[in-house]
Amino acid sequence: MNSSIATPSTRGLLEVSGLCKAFGGVKAVDGFSFDAKPGEIVGIIGPNGAGKTTVFNLVTGVYTPDSGSVRLDGVELSGWRQDVIAREGIGRTFQNIRLFKGLSVLENVMTASDPYAPYNFLSAILSMPAKRAADRQATGQAREYLDLVGLGGMEEARPESLPYGLQRKLELARALAIRPKVILLDEPAAGLNPSEVREFIDLVRRLHERFNFTIVFIEHRMEVVMNLSHKLFVLSFGKLLASGEPEMVRRDPAVIEAYIGDEE
Amino acid sequence: MLQNIFFGLSLGAVYSLIAVGFALVFNILKFSNFSHGGVMSFTAYAGYLAYIWIFDGKVTGVTMFVAVVLTAAVVGSLTAVGIERVGFRRLRSNQAPVIYYFISSITLGILLENIITIFASSNFYSYPVFFSSKNVDLLGTSFSVADFVTLLFSTAALGALLFVLYRTKLGLAVRTVSFDVNTATLMGIDPNRVVMATFALSGALGGISGVFLGMNYSLYPQLGQLVVKGFIASVIGGLGSITGAVIGALLLGIIEVGLIGLVGSGWMPACVFVIMLVFLLVRPRGIAGVIVQEKA
Repeated sequence: MNSSIATPSTRGLLEVSGLCKAFGGVKAVDGFSFDAKPGEIVGIIGPNGAGKTTVFNLVTGVYTPDSGSVRLDGVELSGWRQDVIAREGIGRTFQNIRLFKGLSVLENVMTASDPYAPYNFLSAILSMPAKRAADRQATGQAREYLDLVGLGGMEEARPESLPYGLQRKLELARALAIRPKVILLDEPAAGLNPSEVREFIDLVRRLHERFNFTIVFIEHRMEVVMNLSHKLFVLSFGKLLASGEPEMVRRDPAVIEAYIGDEE
Repeated sequence: MLQNIFFGLSLGAVYSLIAVGFALVFNILKFSNFSHGGVMSFTAYAGYLAYIWIFDGKVTGVTMFVAVVLTAAVVGSLTAVGIERVGFRRLRSNQAPVIYYFISSITLGILLENIITIFASSNFYSYPVFFSSKNVDLLGTSFSVADFVTLLFSTAALGALLFVLYRTKLGLAVRTVSFDVNTATLMGIDPNRVVMATFALSGALGGISGVFLGMNYSLYPQLGQLVVKGFIASVIGGLGSITGAVIGALLLGIIEVGLIGLVGSGWMPACVFVIMLVFLLVRPRGIAGVIVQEKA
């Protein structure tokens, strides 16, 4: 069913193992492991409160893991500052959209490309030709990302004035701008209507085909999960409950129980 | 009348440099940085020393003025960056409550004043006279050259700042961090670097205003306490808003000059503080109307 998606190679790009994080006495994440190969699309599912977003926060350095390791391309990232991790190549979007409200749509994307145009203070003030060329390039790049997600022509708009679905796309464009090796999407389809969801699935496919990066996403909508993922990891109470091919995982009795148990 | 307005504007221009230097840091760290006063005192002295030790006898007039101002701006940048390292970096990495920043900034301001007093005593020194007391005749009235240059130079400094803030990647990073530091870091922006750059910009403005204050009021360790004027201007204009700070400062300058004519220079400061109080009580957002939560 994933015929349109490029087949991943075999080496692990993002390798997370034995991840633990406790808040007070509560073990939010308890020895969770997952991995994603280059070009692979991996879904993380699980009942509410299972610790999925905490996993993302641990991977991106918002929290420091109590134990466990996060490796990107063989480099150990745990304990690093979040901006360094981002520059290493992990981009993300947020469950509750977090755009910069005082900046324009274009500027929102350009903030993320910042590390790639190293600014020299003096040349910035003197507006040297090199600096202006770099700026033009950064602007052009940002516009391209906006075009890709379908936000072309809205560069000067304020993000808060955009409809919800477009705000999600803007977050995606911003995440693209850091040129990630791995992109983490936290419930990207939350709050979208059914036609927006289909459009979103197409968009992710197109971006994946174009950049061939690794995608790890958290999602509740089965339509998105079954359509996009090569591999699924199920998180329940901070622990890995099951993993494997989406169809297999869906039929796993333990997974079904965790979900149904959750609803009771 | 026109002359008074002009004098008020020139005074307000100096206040606006102070207020903007103040607002820059407020924007990023959300506290009122009173160590800015210490920076202004320090740089006023640095400019004075640069005059005595380096530039005296070599250059004169406007060249001298520019040389002294630029020296003060550089020293101000370095001092402010140093202050951030010593006084705030550790608080930030510990994610300390904002009130700690506030106390640390007051402490550092007083500390700088005391250090200056040790080395330079609490005597008053008179600043070098850069401009002859000649007047420029314009529109039928005469303006002092010093006021004219003050206004011109402050405008240029503010223009340069606005250019950095709105036309460079550094400025974009500064604005981004001031909106949401956490998301900004997740987009790969190094907050330490941005905070440092902000302090450098703020310190440079502090240095320039330090020299202007020295020229206007002669030199003494507590000179920097005039940072209060910048604070008042910020409150009137809207804390954390750059445009608000400029508008507030220009208004403050004109109001002060007007009040001196109206109630005399004795009553003027009291009246200004009453105006500030009214703003705090009636319109805490200030003129610019940006809702900023003052946390300390």
